[in-house]
Amino acid sequence: MALLDQISERLQAGKAKEVVALVQQAIDEGIAAEKILNEGLLAGMNIIGEKFKNNEIYVPEVLVAARAMSKGSALLKPLLADAGATATGKVCIGTIEGDLHDIGKNLVIMMMEGKGLEVIDLGTDVTPDNFVETAVKENCNIIACSALLTTTMNTMAEVVNKAKEAGIRDKVKIMIGGAPVTEEFCNNIGADAYTPDATSAAEAAVEFCK
Amino acid sequence: MNSIERFYATIERRPVDRPACWMGDPTPGEAEKLVKFYGVKDVSELKKVCGDDFYAVEIPYHSETCNAIFAAFDWYMGGSDVDVEHRTLTARGCFADCEDVEDAEALNFPWPDPENYIDPELCRKLVDEAPDDKVVLGMLWGAHFQDTCAAFGMETALMNMIAEPELYHYVDDHVVDFYCRALRIFLEATKGKVHAILIGDDMGSQRALMISPAQVAEFVTPGAKKLIDIAHSYGVKVIYHSCGSIFEAIPSIIESGADAIHPIQAKAANMEPWRLKENFGDKVSFCGGVDTQELLPHGTPEDVRDKVRELRDIFPTGLIISPSHEALQIDVPAENVKALFDAVAELN
Repeated sequence: MALLDQISERLQAGKAKEVVALVQQAIDEGIAAEKILNEGLLAGMNIIGEKFKNNEIYVPEVLVAARAMSKGSALLKPLLADAGATATGKVCIGTIEGDLHDIGKNLVIMMMEGKGLEVIDLGTDVTPDNFVETAVKENCNIIACSALLTTTMNTMAEVVNKAKEAGIRDKVKIMIGGAPVTEEFCNNIGADAYTPDATSAAEAAVEFCK
Repeated sequence: MNSIERFYATIERRPVDRPACWMGDPTPGEAEKLVKFYGVKDVSELKKVCGDDFYAVEIPYHSETCNAIFAAFDWYMGGSDVDVEHRTLTARGCFADCEDVEDAEALNFPWPDPENYIDPELCRKLVDEAPDDKVVLGMLWGAHFQDTCAAFGMETALMNMIAEPELYHYVDDHVVDFYCRALRIFLEATKGKVHAILIGDDMGSQRALMISPAQVAEFVTPGAKKLIDIAHSYGVKVIYHSCGSIFEAIPSIIESGADAIHPIQAKAANMEPWRLKENFGDKVSFCGGVDTQELLPHGTPEDVRDKVRELRDIFPTGLIISPSHEALQIDVPAENVKALFDAVAELN
């Protein structure tokens, strides 16, 4: 099996130590860092994302794969920086004000990072002002909001309003998700995308950043 | 039929005069609204007038660190950098850095002894306060999967299921043992007066199980089975709770001996009442089914009545009608709660 395929395969199996050793081997063999990232690590995470979306694997399998990716990509980071490589886009993400449920949000982060996006995690109970201020300060392409409760999801409309007030609405896409959130709700509040699962969220984010 | 007869008939899937019904446990704001709407003095009076068949009793637990059995374990040992108000299952627990069982043992975690913190006399007193004709439901929760997730931090715990299963089991076994002993104290103290207990663990998201059916069978339902066996040895029925899409876990929950499954999160994938009835209706009963994600907060009273009638058609028995999330949120209009109970009260 070619080395980059091996990296992808061991990543999918969640074998972090093996992935680190294989990435090091690839670097030593002179393979470009960007190629190792795209054709080894991110290729593996793409397959994980697809399988998760299709309910072929579950959260633990995604987590061990994401851990392997994170450890493997840590070796590549300085090389990528030297080569002037940049992330394909920047997202700030959080669970909306009043809501502490973060399992889904954390999965979205893993999937977005698995697509090569830079993600700023604002945590839980995040105010609309905090989302918008971070997007301005960090020059984000996307604001992504999560909610589990019917009583907190309405605050997502405030994020849209605050983005308009701050004059960034035409520059920043607003994505929403979470158990009670629907496409109809997304349209009603004027957000840009609702996605039903973490993989679809990452795919939509990549499209927005093109 | 009185509430108790109706409950047993529902659990055993025998004919009922009308479905058994449980309001659940409304959040404080919602409870206040309902009390005002019904013109009663408190929640316990509310439950009497609205037609609730159940009287829930939290198992009393008072230790140096907490006053609720679901918070019995101090997983952070004072070391968390996340304040209590904002702490979630994903926050780092004190077992986060353990790589094996030896590391876990070296922590010397102060496993609480329920004998020290559950007063049998208080258990008896609380259960004796229940009206004679209501189903007494002991709220144990016993959420050992969620506790074990908190012990490590959820993401680490789930990874340990794959990478370090022995380490995961080490913590989970201690937690299960604690809940088993707590349950024995409660049931021994209240012998013959408790009809059912509620236990469970949230395993589902909106679209699927969070862990695989094989992981459910290895890490979750064996602990549930121990609790269920204890309850059954006292002649007590067990309602098993898990939010989310848990269709694939139901065979394992049935295998563990649960009498009813709660809450049928109606809008989660594959959790349509007809599907559950068709696949499992002859093997287990259910509790829940009235959607709290769209119908109860945003529907009209007529919509709610229609849904209850639809549920009654699908489940002529074998379903305790209840909101699909026990903690009714403040956005549910009181009129919709009344509509739910009114439609349940129509006799067959």
